[in-house]
Amino acid sequence: MILVSMWSERVVAIRGSLSRTELFIFYLGITAALSLSGVAEAAGPAANAEVAQVSHASASLSELSNAHRRWWAYQPVRVTPPPPVRQTAWVQNEIDRYILSELEARDLAPAAPAEKRTLIRRATFNLTGLPPTLEEVENFLRDSSSGAFARVVDRLLGSPAYGERWARHWLDVVRYADYHDADPKARVTSCEPLEAWRYRDWVMKSFNRDLPFDQFIVYQIAGDLLPNPTGQTPYPDGLIATTFLVNGAWDRGDADKEKMVSDMVDDQIDTVGKAFLGLTLGCARCHDHKFDPISNEDYYGLAGIFYSTHFMESLGTKGGEITLKRVPLVPRVVAARRDALVRQIEAVKAKLAGLDKLTPPVSTNHPVRVSLIQERDALERELPPPYPMALTVQEGGMPGGLFPNIQDVPIHIRGSYTRLGSMVPRRLPKFFAGESQPQIMQGSGRHEVARWIASKDNALTARVIVNRVWQWHFGEGLVRTPNNLGLLSEPPTHPALLDWLANRFVEDGWSLKKLHRRMLLSSTYQQASAIPSATFSRDPENRWLGRFAARRLESEAIRDAMIFVTGRLDFSEGGPASADLSSLRRSLYVQTARWDRSNFAMLFDAANPDASVEKRTVSTVAPQALLLLNHDFVKVQASHLAKRLLGEVPVDDMARIHRAYRLLFARAADADEVEIGRRLLEQSGKSATSEEAWRDFAHVLLCTNEFIYVD
Amino acid sequence: MTKFVSTPRAYSRREWLARAGGGLGLLALADLLAADSPSPADSGRSAQPYAVRSPHHPAGAKRIIFLYMPGGPSHVDLFDPKPRLIQDNGKPLPFEKPKLERTKTGNLLASPWKFSRHGQSGIEVSELLPRVAAHIDDICVIRSMVADNINHSGAALQMCTGEQAFSRPSLGSWLTYGLGTENQDLPGFVVVSPAAVFQGAQLWASSFLPSAYQGTLVRDLKNPIANIRDPSSSPERQRTKLDALGRLNDLHKRGRLNDSELDARIASFELAFRMQREAPEAFDLSRESAATHQMYGTDQPTTELFGRQCLMARRLVERGVRFVQLFDAPVNNAWDHHSGLREQLPKRCAAVDQPIAALLTDLKARGLLEDTLVLWGGEFGRTPTAEGTNGREHHPFGFTMWMAGGGIRGGIVHGATDDFGWHAVEDKVHVHDLHATILHLMGFDHERLTYRHGGRDYRLTDVYGNVVHRILA
Repeated sequence: MILVSMWSERVVAIRGSLSRTELFIFYLGITAALSLSGVAEAAGPAANAEVAQVSHASASLSELSNAHRRWWAYQPVRVTPPPPVRQTAWVQNEIDRYILSELEARDLAPAAPAEKRTLIRRATFNLTGLPPTLEEVENFLRDSSSGAFARVVDRLLGSPAYGERWARHWLDVVRYADYHDADPKARVTSCEPLEAWRYRDWVMKSFNRDLPFDQFIVYQIAGDLLPNPTGQTPYPDGLIATTFLVNGAWDRGDADKEKMVSDMVDDQIDTVGKAFLGLTLGCARCHDHKFDPISNEDYYGLAGIFYSTHFMESLGTKGGEITLKRVPLVPRVVAARRDALVRQIEAVKAKLAGLDKLTPPVSTNHPVRVSLIQERDALERELPPPYPMALTVQEGGMPGGLFPNIQDVPIHIRGSYTRLGSMVPRRLPKFFAGESQPQIMQGSGRHEVARWIASKDNALTARVIVNRVWQWHFGEGLVRTPNNLGLLSEPPTHPALLDWLANRFVEDGWSLKKLHRRMLLSSTYQQASAIPSATFSRDPENRWLGRFAARRLESEAIRDAMIFVTGRLDFSEGGPASADLSSLRRSLYVQTARWDRSNFAMLFDAANPDASVEKRTVSTVAPQALLLLNHDFVKVQASHLAKRLLGEVPVDDMARIHRAYRLLFARAADADEVEIGRRLLEQSGKSATSEEAWRDFAHVLLCTNEFIYVD
Repeated sequence: MTKFVSTPRAYSRREWLARAGGGLGLLALADLLAADSPSPADSGRSAQPYAVRSPHHPAGAKRIIFLYMPGGPSHVDLFDPKPRLIQDNGKPLPFEKPKLERTKTGNLLASPWKFSRHGQSGIEVSELLPRVAAHIDDICVIRSMVADNINHSGAALQMCTGEQAFSRPSLGSWLTYGLGTENQDLPGFVVVSPAAVFQGAQLWASSFLPSAYQGTLVRDLKNPIANIRDPSSSPERQRTKLDALGRLNDLHKRGRLNDSELDARIASFELAFRMQREAPEAFDLSRESAATHQMYGTDQPTTELFGRQCLMARRLVERGVRFVQLFDAPVNNAWDHHSGLREQLPKRCAAVDQPIAALLTDLKARGLLEDTLVLWGGEFGRTPTAEGTNGREHHPFGFTMWMAGGGIRGGIVHGATDDFGWHAVEDKVHVHDLHATILHLMGFDHERLTYRHGGRDYRLTDVYGNVVHRILA
């Protein structure tokens, strides 16, 4: 939707000169033009008819709300039967019908199927973030039965690496960081999200056990309110999941803590809106949303809910650090017992310290001192290890803050808590949840928020996640702005497919694994990436999906793949993040620190942890090449890869070259590549030992485009 | 291929009409857009993110050095003399202070330092900055700066990115995105900050712009660029490897779609090879004469650190680096004088005065000041009222920044605060206005330098900003 893009670019520029209504009418006119031109079928015929009508009429706000009602994303998910296609032999499942019918309508043909080697490498990276092993490739090549690829997909979905890969995708969306400060010694523990890793692990495990996505949502918004299925308290998973709401890029509010709190609430509303609903709710903080049906009142209805929730011990004092709330994950009595012991130990230590201050000094073998030492040691022996804790939200407003209770809040005029307007009852946005909502009688209302979002009746929720998963497999979403399905977004290229997938997803019990399976077992997914350039020029952006979009690996997959091909990747799961790039653990467990952008991950376009990231950028810059050429991490991997090659193929240079290609690229080397390899070995060999020459060879392969691109 | 979340392609009006097939709203829109030239060279940006691109209009400045004083330097003690503070020293501010959460400043506090007039312009500058004062005729002092946030983090974010709370691309990122950089062997946007500062990398982050545009941080002045060499390998051996790599990458391209990303990656290795040779030289201050070192004060403990930073800045802009941001940060928040004002402010001034003066002299002597914009300031100023007996609080309501060089009218004062230095009252310059003006000086219409992200087109100045034309040369 180039036009819409250009339009929105202008909106900001001309906002000052036109009234809000005029702006809208203008916008609607464009949408109408798009529909006439056939560029925007996606918006839906009904919407376009409506919009066309409106665009010729005079301005009024009720017409805007008509447009809202007609906007595709705000209408209920509509299931239409998959369209008929001519080339039925190509169709493996319903997805293919939707894709092929659009291709055929444009006289475009799908690409040939990808080679099996390409396909298994693609699927393995997509689902696990790792390359396939030699054996996995060979097994797949040998398996000529019809279900061969389905078995690969099922194996991959069943591997723990799947959750590690897909957790990282989700962490991008929820602005996850392990720490603010990269330097462990400099961290201020009270305000560092030290326990965030438990949330990361919970996400990873939830994906691995295919926790239904509707529950996945409820846990993150209101997990602290959920009963433990075992009947015990606390319920660790429920508490941990709400770290979602806590792990934002907080400023410390050194001079204005109240402003900080209002920014925190805003971050929560903004992240919930973008992550689950594809709505930019945060835009309504200072005024009614300029384009989407979210009023300033709606915002403060929601804000009351999040103001009635806290995650800091108290507001704190000016200039002081903030103290995040950490809740024990063990029963209260267990925690209390340990806390009491700690206090006792401290008391004894204080007495001991008191002895040192006396004059004359108390001798080291004085019975009082000796007995105190004995007492201390006995208590310390008794002391159990620290109990686990989680960063979690709790019901009730910020202690010591402007809104310390479970309470409604007034509109903040222009977003500022210093100018308060009229009170808004805690409630959900009216356009989406209805004019007459049951009053929130108990608690903050987070439960109500969670239930409203995680409902099959919410037109946005399933579409948003299905669209994200599509993007993570195909490179672009059916809607290309996954965090925003509102009026300023591009309508989907394949609206009927998006709705069909969303509906099926809900019918399947919100199962992500079934969704992956459906996408990967389509002919659409299994296409080759290379197509004739004439075909390419007819759809350069691959909007109609007549090929697979080749792409560069993400920073985590680049690093993991390097360690993986040396055979040394440590597959252990979970636990606190490591600051050590040279760790052999997966990149998911290498720390993301908000204040550190000078690291491997950021260099290769890792997600900015300060805000929800819907899609990573791909940049190609010389510092990446410098790192690959000169950084110890890469040199060490090259050295281990060389050792592996020398160890596994002791004599034959040619066989060793082929093995390297199989390990790295899931294929044998061709004659030219063998020749280049041999020449490099020969030249390096002049001034170096054989092992060093192979290290150079391995290093070059790790730097190749093929290693970090997936076809 | 996953490309940048790129700005809309620059279609010509005709192409655009042809593509869309017409329609009423479309025509109106096309008319509206007809006045626009395409945004600067969008295509190919992913392949060559640093390629030099032309801005919207001829630029007064080609590069920027931003001298950032973290913590908030006190305007009433440095550039904004207030006789009324002397007169009313110890008396309460005669009007209500804006609501400041838990800020307990007391009565008015006269500046302990004298001001005197300098240069032909006769602009008053505090005795704490005698050497900078000597350049006053090249400087435009903006005494009416206004920011929106009273916290360091939020205010610093606003000063560096335009937004107080959320992640946005920094000024330097916008400029390298818009202009590319003139030396392909060096990063286009360099940040020198010896200590960590509040919000750290967020101040020079590219945020949703491609990460190629984030600032390259130099913390350790002796080891400025990461991974610049491999001590275990010779250049010849590396050349052999790169030749093999180039041939393999060429083979890989066979049968694949003509893809600028693959080409860009091939080019990036060659660039890296050249950078290894060029970059160390650019950062190597030992190549400067003893006289130069003396001028910048790198030979004196007081001025050594910021002197080195300023000298590095000059070497970098001289070699075509687009944006250099220096943080005067021997420690975090060095200019945050809540207490110890009488002792600490002179120390900070002594540390930066000579280096900054040397930088201006040096740039001028080399003909670089003409098209290099030098910008000085912090995230806010400090209260004219006392915090305790010897300190001042954060103060975003009226404070001073100055600019010199490329496209700036030197020797003028722009705007004014009230008699007490509290509120900016005359020709207010909001941070957004400052940003709009900087972009203007660099050749951009701040409303048209945009980037599409999450369904919206963003710009540095959000929906605000007016160019301050009066201060332009």
